[in-house]
Amino acid sequence: METWTPNPRAKPFIPRQQRSWYLTWKYRLTQRRSLRRFCQAGAVLFLFVTVVVNIKLILDTRRVADEDAADQEYDVVPNMETPRRPASGRKVLDIEVYSSRSKVYVAVDGTTVLEDDMREQGRGVHVIVLNQATGHVMAKRIFDTYSPHEDEAMILFLNMVTRGRILIFTVKDEGTFHLKDAAKNLLKSLGSQAALGLSWRDMWTLVVKKGGQTVLVLVLEPNLLIIHQHSDFCGPAEAECHWADTELNRRRKLFCSKVEGYGSICSCKDPAPIEFNPDPLPSNNVFNVPVAVIAGNRPNYLYRMLRSLLSAHGVNPQVITVFIDGYYEEPMDVVDLFGLKGVQHTPISIKNARVSQHYKASLTATFNLHPDAGFAVVLEEDLDISVDFFSFLSQTIHLLDQDDSLYCISAWNDQGYEHTAEDPALLYRVESMPGLGWVLKKSIYKDELEPKWPTPEKLWDWDMWMRMPEQRKGRECIIPDVSRSYHFGIIGLNMNGYFHEVYFKKHKFNTIPNIQLRNVESLRKDAYEAEIQKLLKEAELLDHSRNPCEDSFVPDTEGKTYIMFIKMESELDTSTWTELAKCLHVWDLDVRGYHRGLWRLFRKRNHILVIAVPISPYSVKKPAALAPIHLEPPPKEEGAPVEQL
Amino acid sequence: MPRVNRTFVFVLLLASSCAFLLFQLYYYRNYVSKEPGLHLLDPAGHVTSSQVQWQNLKKFLALAQFFRLPLFLADSAALALLSQDALRQRAMHEPHCSFLCAGRPITSFALPASQWQLSPGFLLAAEQKGFQLLEVRGRDPRLASLDTLSGEEIPLHFLFRLHGYIIHVVLLYERSGGYLWHGALRLKAAADPTFAPFRLLDYGRHAGAYDRPELLLTVVDGLDVRVPRNISRFLAQRQEARFLECRYHDARSFLQLYPDDSSAAAVEFRRKAKVLLRLAAQSLDRLGVPFWISSGTCLGWYRQCGVISYSRDVDIGIFISDFRPQITTAFRDAGMSLKHQFGKVEDSLELSFLGEDVKLDIFFFYRDGDVVWNGGTQAKSGRKFKYVFPSFSLCWAELLEVKVRVPCETLDYVMANYGGTWSVPVKSWDWKSSPSNVIENGVWPVAEWAGLIQVY
Repeated sequence: METWTPNPRAKPFIPRQQRSWYLTWKYRLTQRRSLRRFCQAGAVLFLFVTVVVNIKLILDTRRVADEDAADQEYDVVPNMETPRRPASGRKVLDIEVYSSRSKVYVAVDGTTVLEDDMREQGRGVHVIVLNQATGHVMAKRIFDTYSPHEDEAMILFLNMVTRGRILIFTVKDEGTFHLKDAAKNLLKSLGSQAALGLSWRDMWTLVVKKGGQTVLVLVLEPNLLIIHQHSDFCGPAEAECHWADTELNRRRKLFCSKVEGYGSICSCKDPAPIEFNPDPLPSNNVFNVPVAVIAGNRPNYLYRMLRSLLSAHGVNPQVITVFIDGYYEEPMDVVDLFGLKGVQHTPISIKNARVSQHYKASLTATFNLHPDAGFAVVLEEDLDISVDFFSFLSQTIHLLDQDDSLYCISAWNDQGYEHTAEDPALLYRVESMPGLGWVLKKSIYKDELEPKWPTPEKLWDWDMWMRMPEQRKGRECIIPDVSRSYHFGIIGLNMNGYFHEVYFKKHKFNTIPNIQLRNVESLRKDAYEAEIQKLLKEAELLDHSRNPCEDSFVPDTEGKTYIMFIKMESELDTSTWTELAKCLHVWDLDVRGYHRGLWRLFRKRNHILVIAVPISPYSVKKPAALAPIHLEPPPKEEGAPVEQL
Repeated sequence: MPRVNRTFVFVLLLASSCAFLLFQLYYYRNYVSKEPGLHLLDPAGHVTSSQVQWQNLKKFLALAQFFRLPLFLADSAALALLSQDALRQRAMHEPHCSFLCAGRPITSFALPASQWQLSPGFLLAAEQKGFQLLEVRGRDPRLASLDTLSGEEIPLHFLFRLHGYIIHVVLLYERSGGYLWHGALRLKAAADPTFAPFRLLDYGRHAGAYDRPELLLTVVDGLDVRVPRNISRFLAQRQEARFLECRYHDARSFLQLYPDDSSAAAVEFRRKAKVLLRLAAQSLDRLGVPFWISSGTCLGWYRQCGVISYSRDVDIGIFISDFRPQITTAFRDAGMSLKHQFGKVEDSLELSFLGEDVKLDIFFFYRDGDVVWNGGTQAKSGRKFKYVFPSFSLCWAELLEVKVRVPCETLDYVMANYGGTWSVPVKSWDWKSSPSNVIENGVWPVAEWAGLIQVY
């Protein structure tokens, strides 16, 4: 290596560029050992670098992985949701149905889906709708067909059920007294052979596929009936509707796959809307006032209620929260259908106290969810909401803020029936708390009501409690002459069909939008007194010698103001008013809707002022010679005591 | 061995090692781009990546503006830079990512939840723009009261990822104590734990409470961004924002065992305690003196999420280092009268005020090594007592709809004071002997009584 002599046999020199790169290197590599060695060293170095980079890579990756693991430790909480078992297509359903005087139950594939053995509850026809593909319960209803008009509701419901569903009927106690022919015919057309022959206290069950074959029809037997039936009439899932793929329709699809009995919501062609886009109000003072909808397990009521609420002008769906008393699925499905916020409440206590605790939890949560709100609108699930509900509130809410003599603003006039309410622009002040769609001021709730709200062991009605003088403290509520809500609930804690028919059905309900309320400022405490004095001055005295229950008591005029005086010696002396209320067909169960012993209502389009003498300060307007009207209750007769609302 | 073969082997080796190296390089690049914190192979890449991050932010902010989301910058690093360099206006207007990127792969924004319209439009649009989204939901604390309510889980955090950079949006909810709240970030098991370097997030380790910040629209790095007007105050709040939710579940069980007194007197006391606590919080906040609820008031919060109606007073603690002489005047201005003052600033200071017929006791706490203690004085005998607690940090909590501080290690604190049986109500309580941490601490010299034991 040290000495190198040119190779005599070497090729002559050729300019470099003529030799290719490859050849050069090949030449060098093959000819020069030192270079080769150099390259070898280079390659080793190269390999070494590879190894180093490798090790670094491994270390880095491990470090990152460690960090990830640490993140994981810190961030992951166990998954609480249990996986849902896929609903497999069923071929056979094992249905067991029991009907008796004191108990009904229905089991599907060994799972009890209905069991009712409570005393004095659940009378009538129980209807269950099953999904024919999965056997899941899609609807559960009771129609108390012992009472009037419930059969009409049943017909309505059955007509809404999609063809192909499995219907299960079973009677508890009695279900035929008011089951009219129309309903019986419908049952017959569904496949019942015995429906037409049903009579008093018959126990009866029916399992049928709507629009398909009957499985097993009726066994008649007094007081007890059990059917155990393997039915293999399950079909494939219904053909899915092809609604446009929107957010709305996704909600609709989910809803329709779970529940049944909401009519055209689920119809493929032209389904009922679930978004309403009502007109906004030109200036809305209640847009950000939270709305609490108090609900129980009456999902079809809730559906009707929310539909009317979301159609009211000026509604803000963002601030609506539905509070459901109990962990019921179907009401939650309804809430989800409309894309609203739903909150479920673990029931505390029983009966009235349960409702009362639910109210408290809901009101507290409403103000928690909206800490900036000064008011809350409180609604119930069995109310229709007038189209100008929010317009009515928007025009009056400042009064609640400014006038400390006010307790609430309510959309409900206890005495506002079809024949006694007239003027949708007219407002009153009343000393009772009507509820049924009302506005609560936060400071009243937080400072006064919440701290001493009745505890669960006290079986009080929340509204009765709120009306007590300790709570109301002489404050008044503002109400419209024509109610902005309509109470349609027939089933309820304190409610039945008869009661509803007598006291709620004929209630006047405003359907005219954008009503400009008259003289809102005159509803303030002092201004209202001036207003009353003005009315008293212009009022004509009615002929007190006539019978106030007779139609001719009020002259056949229009637009006049009349005054009449009735006897009321003390707060407890309610007999004359009660009798008058009875013959006027207004609320007569307790004394409501007055302002300082003055009732205001309409008869034959005339405004009537009824003044209680002598407890009303307005008694001074009574001519000295005039004897106030005095009515005595008729002698006691046996009648079913009516529960108070 | 023939020479040709040897060369051949070499070339083969070289080629394979090259291929291997290339593969590793590719893999590594891939990994680095996922984990932007690691710029190991490409130190020059930082400039370009901050450009990428800036583009991300620009895209994101434009989207937020389109959907009218009033996001504000809440990133601790970026805000810290901004507060230092607020005067360098020029730099702020230049479209370089010198503030917003701050060398971190994450930029945090906050959004008032009331402005978060329930429209999925924004999230959808962000996904269309290429952002990957991780939405973290959690229970709604506003429903977690003594009544068992359960609503849908509410969104707490949004993480938007694009090109390896994260934009973190934390939702701030209004709470009834008049403050903003954000939830802790806890991933569901189904979520991807590698979605973001969660440890680097500014928000989400704990729940936090903030005052409503006043916002300012400004230009940072050439982008329109809202920032808190008082940045340093916001950053200071962030340091000690940790919020503890009351243990409603346990409180419910406690109240089932020992139902709350619902007599008129108890209701009245609760009302007064609430007024007093609110007054105290307002006065001390105005002075900038941090305080926490102590003794029976703290026990009431921890055990039953309310006040103990038979405790008859409200107790708060203040570190002696935060003592100001103005406290007395501030409380007087708020309509409370000084009832007594025991001890001195150097030793066992204790103030008592009377407002709404309810006593408000202010105990001053002294640090001593790894414990803290406060003193007590018996007026008639001049005897001194000492109550020793393990040292603690402070967290926010809500009591009677007032935002107050509590010791974060609440259980240790309560246990020190009330022993292991703190969960059993005791109605006859002697402050000199009942607490399990009380120590006799001598007697004040009689000569100094006039200054040290003042009863009004």
